[in-house]
Amino acid sequence: MQKIKNPIALTLIYLALIAYALFSVAPVVWTTLQSLKTPRQAYSPTPLFIFDATFDNYRDLWLNSVPKNPWLVGIILAGIVIGLVVIGFNANRIPGQNYIIYGGILVVSFLIVWMIPKFVNTAEFYKYFLNSVIVTLGTVTISLSIGCLAGYALARYSGIAGVLILVAALGFRALPSLALVLPYFWLGQVTGLYDTLALLIITLVAINQPFTIWMLRSFFMNIPRELEEAAMVDGCSRVSAFIKVIIPIMWPGIVSTGLFSLLLAYSDFLLAKILTRSNWTLTVAISQFTGGEDPGQLTLAAAAAVSATIPIVIVILFFQKQLIKGLTTGAVKG
Amino acid sequence: MKAKDFYKFVAPSLIAMGTLLVFPLVMATWLGLNFMTYRNINNPVFVGLANYIEVLTDQRFWQAFRFTVLFIAITVPATIVIGFLLALFLDQISGHVRGVFITTYLLPMVIVPVVGTMMFRLLFVPSGIAAWLYQEILKQPFFFNEVSVKILIILNAIWTTTPFPFIVMYAGLQTLPQEQIEAALMDGANRRQQVRYIVIPHLSSLLVFLGLILIMDAYRVFDSIFVLTQQNPIYKAASVMSYIFRTAMAVQQLGLANAMAILTVIMVMIVLIPLLVHTYHDQIEER
Repeated sequence: MQKIKNPIALTLIYLALIAYALFSVAPVVWTTLQSLKTPRQAYSPTPLFIFDATFDNYRDLWLNSVPKNPWLVGIILAGIVIGLVVIGFNANRIPGQNYIIYGGILVVSFLIVWMIPKFVNTAEFYKYFLNSVIVTLGTVTISLSIGCLAGYALARYSGIAGVLILVAALGFRALPSLALVLPYFWLGQVTGLYDTLALLIITLVAINQPFTIWMLRSFFMNIPRELEEAAMVDGCSRVSAFIKVIIPIMWPGIVSTGLFSLLLAYSDFLLAKILTRSNWTLTVAISQFTGGEDPGQLTLAAAAAVSATIPIVIVILFFQKQLIKGLTTGAVKG
Repeated sequence: MKAKDFYKFVAPSLIAMGTLLVFPLVMATWLGLNFMTYRNINNPVFVGLANYIEVLTDQRFWQAFRFTVLFIAITVPATIVIGFLLALFLDQISGHVRGVFITTYLLPMVIVPVVGTMMFRLLFVPSGIAAWLYQEILKQPFFFNEVSVKILIILNAIWTTTPFPFIVMYAGLQTLPQEQIEAALMDGANRRQQVRYIVIPHLSSLLVFLGLILIMDAYRVFDSIFVLTQQNPIYKAASVMSYIFRTAMAVQQLGLANAMAILTVIMVMIVLIPLLVHTYHDQIEER
């Protein structure tokens, strides 16, 4: 539409947009402030906006005891992280396949996260964070590998079976997952898999599979058939044409789908709550905080909430384009 | 693609979905016909339709159902209207500020729901800034009670959900047919008429899609209710999902909970079947 020129109307529009932006960030900003206060400051009768910030809550949340030389540990970790980020941004200039480099970075980061408790006396919360990382990575990897194969086949096959699978998948996407999880709970109890991360990963893969194949299929549909047909004329089999020709140009689609799969797995609360007793993920651990109202708990809970949100904020800063594209493609076309 | 290749490619995914989605659903139907608690988890007792009759005559189940319907009836239209207005407004401004607004608006949606609800709740606990404002303006303290908890649940849902209709409709606005707007301008249509006769019809297919998705998502509301009510029944703010959860986990009536779950599946199906039929015809035409 053509733009409004009237300055008063334009000012009102800006005011409305800013007001909603404040509503959007208010809970996050307030929680961050509370997480940097001592319990005494957090409970001050008038809300404090300027105060001596303290990181005690984060320290108590993540560590049982502070390492003897915290600066050394911090500098080494920061050095490794900066190194990985620099390599990641310059992957194009390094000879060799890009995905090997990105995969390498992912593996190294995971190993670091996994090894930290060996050197630092971390608290329970770290264990739950690690569980969340394992569950999220496991779910994304398995979902994408089996989802890519199916999404590709569904984009290329014109038989009625393909349509039926898609429609059934859509149906399962809409069902409340609670209906599916209660039987898992029972099965877990009977088979002894209850309270393991493996059961959680398998369930998350299954529950996210319908959405994964729909989204991947819509990306595969945009890739012209001629590409793999040319490769097949040149003597490639369907499978090797898929791996050598299609997958390399599908990366943007795979990254977008992976992003949503990651957000879904990381956000899951219901499945983890039902299928674990002590092997919690981050969401279940955080939900435990909300019961207690004593002052110490409040600032600690705020620190936990902010800690769980930082990885998400980093992810959207890097992948905002893919996020918006993924949210709008399916919708705007249909 | 030949059928043989097709099945080779879809097999892993199909096996995963078959064993982990279809089978559990059948399983749930069967468990719903049994009396089962944590004590007799290895040998459930078959009781036929007794669980279903118990659910249908359970006052608290219907109370949860009514609250869920109320929740859907308020949040779905509210998020669509707010999202639409934000999209229209944002479309009016230009420059880099747009990007800043979009990022800010998307934030509540990408935050983990449990965590987001907890942050929201921290505004209203006695030390929170919203509770302080309430006290300053209305001269009375803010309490969590039957009414206020329900209002918070709805406000929180608007906070987390609005970004989705907003971004979808904002993207839809970018594809608005310019010729129609120009023609309307020539005919002297004012802004309100343009929105009424061009923008809304252009977005109407999106609105149907959004409406269906939002209804189905709102029907599943659980995380935020868990955090805001602390599983405390005194607020009478259970949703269908949180009531089933409580029946299974706290009351430990697994058979009864499965019967409820199957009933809710049937209820979802009523909304879902037209959509599935529509998709089926769409896909048949498209191939």
